[in-house]
Amino acid sequence: MTILNESGIPDVLPPLHAVNGLAERLSDVLLVVVGTQAEAHLVQCLPAAPSPNLPSSQRNPRVIFAVIDPDDPPQQGLLASRIVESAAGLRGTELVLLVAGRTAESLGVDAAFEATLVARKLDLPAETVNPDAPHEVPGILSTDLEDFVLAALVKLCPKRKTSDLVETASPAKRGRLFGSLLGRGTEASDSKDSRPVVLLGGTLTPGAAQGLAAELLRAGVEVAGAVPGSGIGELPPIGEGTVVAVMDPNLTSAAAAAERRGATVVKTLMPIGVDGTARFVQDVAEEAGTRTSEVVRARSAWEDLGVLRNRIRGKRIFFTGDTGFEIPLARFLADAGAVVLEVGAPRLDRRFLAAELQALGPDVDVVVSPDYRGQTNRIDESRPDVVISSPGLHLPLVARGHLCRSPHDFLEAGLYGYGGARRILELLVRTMDRAETLDSLNL
Amino acid sequence: MKLLRGVYEGPQSYGILRVAASIRGVHTLLRTLPGEAYFRPLYGARERTGEMAPVTLSPLREGPDDSMAPAGNLDRDLSGVLRRHPRTEIVVLARSEASLLSGETIPIITLPEVEGTGRAPRLVTFPWEGPGMRETEAAEVALEDLIRARMHERPERSPYPTVNLFGPPIFGPGATAEYAEAERLLDMIGVEVNARVPLGANTADLGRLPRAWANLLLYREVGESATLYLQDECGMPRVTTPMIGAAGTGAALRAIGELCQLDPKSVQRTIWAELARTAKLPWYARLEPPETFQNRRVAIFGDFTYPLGLGYALAREVGLEIITCGTYLTHLERDFLFHAHTFTEGAFVEEDPDEVAARIEAAKPDLIIGTHLEEGVADSLDVPFLPLCPPVADAPFVGRPLMGYAGSSVLADALDGVLREKTIEPPGEAGMQWTDGALQEAAEVPLFLRGRARRLAEEHARQQGSREVTREIFLESRS
Repeated sequence: MTILNESGIPDVLPPLHAVNGLAERLSDVLLVVVGTQAEAHLVQCLPAAPSPNLPSSQRNPRVIFAVIDPDDPPQQGLLASRIVESAAGLRGTELVLLVAGRTAESLGVDAAFEATLVARKLDLPAETVNPDAPHEVPGILSTDLEDFVLAALVKLCPKRKTSDLVETASPAKRGRLFGSLLGRGTEASDSKDSRPVVLLGGTLTPGAAQGLAAELLRAGVEVAGAVPGSGIGELPPIGEGTVVAVMDPNLTSAAAAAERRGATVVKTLMPIGVDGTARFVQDVAEEAGTRTSEVVRARSAWEDLGVLRNRIRGKRIFFTGDTGFEIPLARFLADAGAVVLEVGAPRLDRRFLAAELQALGPDVDVVVSPDYRGQTNRIDESRPDVVISSPGLHLPLVARGHLCRSPHDFLEAGLYGYGGARRILELLVRTMDRAETLDSLNL
Repeated sequence: MKLLRGVYEGPQSYGILRVAASIRGVHTLLRTLPGEAYFRPLYGARERTGEMAPVTLSPLREGPDDSMAPAGNLDRDLSGVLRRHPRTEIVVLARSEASLLSGETIPIITLPEVEGTGRAPRLVTFPWEGPGMRETEAAEVALEDLIRARMHERPERSPYPTVNLFGPPIFGPGATAEYAEAERLLDMIGVEVNARVPLGANTADLGRLPRAWANLLLYREVGESATLYLQDECGMPRVTTPMIGAAGTGAALRAIGELCQLDPKSVQRTIWAELARTAKLPWYARLEPPETFQNRRVAIFGDFTYPLGLGYALAREVGLEIITCGTYLTHLERDFLFHAHTFTEGAFVEEDPDEVAARIEAAKPDLIIGTHLEEGVADSLDVPFLPLCPPVADAPFVGRPLMGYAGSSVLADALDGVLREKTIEPPGEAGMQWTDGALQEAAEVPLFLRGRARRLAEEHARQQGSREVTREIFLESRS
């Protein structure tokens, strides 16, 4: 593996686009985007999940834009009282999130203060999220807002020591999501030294956390809950003694927030692909106090994938980079026999992704902060079989005759766990099959 | 400060980009935050041609200068544009809202020559840019500035009659089709199109605009100040009648014929021939029984040209009642109200979608024509909806014009589709009573969802066999 830094301008969808998707996913959260006309227009124009298509015109009532007139910035507290007014009409709001970036700041809006006021007046938690907040490592990913929102949710998790809570809570009270799963496993894992596991991530894939929880339960690890989970009221406690298992490679801030609360963040592979899932389950189990081996299961999973692997073997795949999920995806596809030509990484946190980078095959090149024009030239030269492309490059590349898929397609299909490994390969095979059918037409 | 659930217009940088991306040979360098640039993906999704958007980002960075970061060095980014796009004639430097608010000053820059050609492209900057400006206003002024930048020498007037078309910029619904229809009609009366501005023009066309005998203003939102400039500077007359509906199109063609000194009889013959063959709106209005239009009230909302043109056409040519007609373009308020009052009592200017929804709801229309943001109101009132005014959400592969005679037929088809079935109100509907408690609860619902909530609650009450909507029934229907 080689890591190059191109110092270019990567083609990345603005993180703010995720507001619509988050409002759909977190159905009890009111999202207030604070800024100028520009932010409101951006959120409205871009689809919830980046795709080559435009968003539907249906608006989500849980997204509100606070459009500030630059010539007449509001007085302190005015924003809060307006939010309180409009929150009154929405039933079932459990949390108010103020998304306020650089423009709100330069217009003199103190988002944290307004959030405190909102929280006091509505008697609900209110947090601020800054989509322009700098990371330790330069660069942005299109999934940054999910990361920041999850970091805010981690802050909201109950503070009590998790171990106390697990012992006192009855299985039924531990959340609808995991109730049925946990009911079976409680007796087995009553041992004193086991530590509660919280899954972090999977925002973009419905049902991802349940699937992984089932996988962990099979290995004898009980999952106490997930962030974001099924609702603000159901957030699991995170604190000293909690084991936090991060599912997504983009969650640097959320993982750091969990660490600041004293939780142990497991340093392992992302649960993507066969080996990734196996290592994830094994390492999380070990951290939680259970010893397990996934070797047998991983071997049988690879055997099950035999037919699909034959279709993928030798196929040349190029990742332009957008969501941050490219690195684990590339790791799995290289293991499955594909040739990964380049992995674009608009931001690469080497410390956070150390395990992933180590596991990446020797022939894979990672390009940090790639330049999209340079990438287009490299794609034209190397003519890959499939390009996993960012939304801005998608159409131009298709027009140049390349076969493209969006990284978000994989997220929506569900790429976690052993089942996810199959879905990833199936999605790729389906893509190539369809292209073959269309190519065979005599137009 | 306003709390909104949607916006009709984008920021000023978006307006500049729409105009600049419409003209070939213009490349825009957008000074912006790294996470703020959405024009490129949007260009792909809206145009669907596979071309790269003619825009380069110059990211704005704060904090310590990390040499590994893609730092936004303006000089370097500008020469990068020239290196990568050597055929560029005009480089536009636009600034995003965050860049304007950050207080950074743009130094005076001259563009270097393109290597090997000895030619230096022209750099156009917009000193009037401000963070509070809106898309349409910025697009209008930017177009004028771009034309000024190319106005070096006065070309001779063409020996035969020609006109310039000033139409909508890129992303307008069916924008290319609008130009094509106008060009087809002008061709029929014997007038050539000198240039389509902005969409379809190249930079050389901008300098050749004074060749034409007149300017035909199809979309005044963007072409107004450019055509006024050409009128003052070069004495070029302009035609401003919206070419929507058969009457408007005929008036515009006759005006062009007069300015181009054509024989009025031959122009009239062409118009009659088109009325017999292409224009189906008058035909539709004559064929349908009068009952179809009787007491049918229409609410129209949109930009400027489309609501006014559609308002005229529907009121006069079809005979529908325009109960209300509005625009979100606050800077054109006076002009809009002046024109709209000729066909409706309910003219208004409003840029908050919730308020627009409330206005439309209060007018109790039978048909709503609007932007994609009005779809929710139509849904909650359960009346037919036609998204004919920009901005619209869909980007069809085949653009269909609304202007000209072909456009009048598209309009006739659209009306035919939604007005054919006369809805008969179920008799029990009016008798439904609401208790005070239920009304209080309903007042809590956001405006644009209220009509729908009301309808669902009444349905729920009917299912339960209740004659009135109580608080409990209302809450049940919402859960």
